[in-house]
Amino acid sequence: MLYLITFILIYLAIIIYLSYLGFRKTVSVSDYLLAGRQVHPVIMSLSYGSTYISTSAIIGFGGISALYGFTMSWLAFLNIFIGVWLAFVLFGKRTRKMGKALDAHTFPELLGRRYNSRFIQGFSGFVILFFMPIYTSAILIGISRFIEVYLNIPFTTALLVFLLINACYVIWGGLKGVLYTSVFQGTIMIVVMVIVGITTYISAGGMINAHRELASLTHIIPKEFIFNGHRGFVSFPEFGSPVWWSVLTTFILGVGIGVLGQPQLNVRFMTLKSDRELNRSIPFTAMYILFTTGIAFAVGVTTNLIFYKDLGLSSIEVVGGNVDKIIPLYIDRFYPQWFVAIFLVSLMAAAMSANSAQFHALGASLSRDIFEQAILKGKSVAETTIVTRIGIVFSIFATLILGLLMPEGTVAKATAFFFGLCGSTFVPSYFFGLYWKKATKAAAKTSLLTGFFSFLLWTVFFHESEAKMLGICRFIFGIDTLVGHPFHVIDPQIIALPLSSIVFVIVSFFTRPVDEDVIRKAFRHI
Amino acid sequence: MLGFTDIIIFIGYILTPVSTLFCIFYGLLNWNKGIEEKDGDYREEIRWEKEEMELIEKLP
Repeated sequence: MLYLITFILIYLAIIIYLSYLGFRKTVSVSDYLLAGRQVHPVIMSLSYGSTYISTSAIIGFGGISALYGFTMSWLAFLNIFIGVWLAFVLFGKRTRKMGKALDAHTFPELLGRRYNSRFIQGFSGFVILFFMPIYTSAILIGISRFIEVYLNIPFTTALLVFLLINACYVIWGGLKGVLYTSVFQGTIMIVVMVIVGITTYISAGGMINAHRELASLTHIIPKEFIFNGHRGFVSFPEFGSPVWWSVLTTFILGVGIGVLGQPQLNVRFMTLKSDRELNRSIPFTAMYILFTTGIAFAVGVTTNLIFYKDLGLSSIEVVGGNVDKIIPLYIDRFYPQWFVAIFLVSLMAAAMSANSAQFHALGASLSRDIFEQAILKGKSVAETTIVTRIGIVFSIFATLILGLLMPEGTVAKATAFFFGLCGSTFVPSYFFGLYWKKATKAAAKTSLLTGFFSFLLWTVFFHESEAKMLGICRFIFGIDTLVGHPFHVIDPQIIALPLSSIVFVIVSFFTRPVDEDVIRKAFRHI
Repeated sequence: MLGFTDIIIFIGYILTPVSTLFCIFYGLLNWNKGIEEKDGDYREEIRWEKEEMELIEKLP
């Protein structure tokens, strides 16, 4: 406890100082929303990385790796290849140039101005404002589970206290505050994860030995998983089995592709001065993802070996089925208390940086996208910063309520849900908006609505795990899902994203292109 | 194969550091590229600055 209090106080002192620095330097709307568009590449990469990879990746997906094994290393690969290289090179460069040409401050604003449509901006803002709290609460649950295990206090108390600390500095600093603290938080995260990775492999008898021994532990995997296609911690699930569909479509592809439509990440590209800064950010961001997710996933799987040697049980059995508790319990049980305190502080750091960036994106959605565009019909007023803060307060409350309501073990699922929803809704309009001058306003509108509603419909009536949890399908039709194998285990994004992309292309061919002046302006730097 | 017998797992595991190395090389090769913007950019900057000044004046 003494260690924890000491580390937390040191950490908070630094965070408060950095937030103050951000607050002092925030003088304009552009400063508040985009940090003045002049962010250093290392700051950019650490802030992007620590927003992208948070407690949901370490706690939620670390736990999922403990369940499904090294199959999840494919997600670590996609996190780097799609989430960094493709996102930066294919999307980032044009986003930055177009964002600047169109004077866009938020991701919905970029879409709205590219297609010259207030509806697109307002609707995108609405999607973010009402659905991002699911992701923010997933992150909050991740950190609160750790506090619960470590301090042995009720989950609800942990959630409330952490949210309160987090809320304080987000409301003050704006994006500059968020960016400064992200660098500090990102650095702690890397150091701690590298230590955890190395010590875990050492205690498992080395990397190769750990992998070999894990191969012999298939018998400790719960029977229902084996029945559904799980073939061991170091084997890919059986082709076409429920586990294969679920892991591949929800966790690997769902999160791996969905990252491209993440508003709180895409807005980061607009904070850079030139493509040079973007190029320079790529190596740092990739290394950050490798050291955090790459290590977290490998550690997650290896906990099975360590728990088995210690207690004769698999990780999932040790935590009684709640995957979100695997990493917290592993760290708490096998590491010295002072290190657990540091790990907890680094997780708090990760949760705070990701949460604050999300609250920031949520606040901006309310003020810039919904308030100014939908309510004031495009009029810009000085009260934007105040409304942004109201939006942040609203999102903090929404996060709190969802954090208390969501069932156990849902961190990774809730994350995958939000990533999938954003991917299905935004990616076609975003991609074609950046690359295709003939992409039309009507196509963007139809594609946004198709992606959004088809994703939700599939979630509510077809995808078994969510449909069962929500109970709407059972209420109306008397059954958990309307389809059989394999459709009931295919992630909604795998259906909704191709659908919204096809709709976009077809509608574009038959409708009037966006005004030539708007196109010329949007592509002026490209 | 690093203790793995399943080739798909081995590939996924190895692609993670390989993709990081790829990103590092990409960043280093393009380290000084992309500084120049297309013509007309300075006008955008001036307009941007002007708008910012106006917004600052309007702030309470």
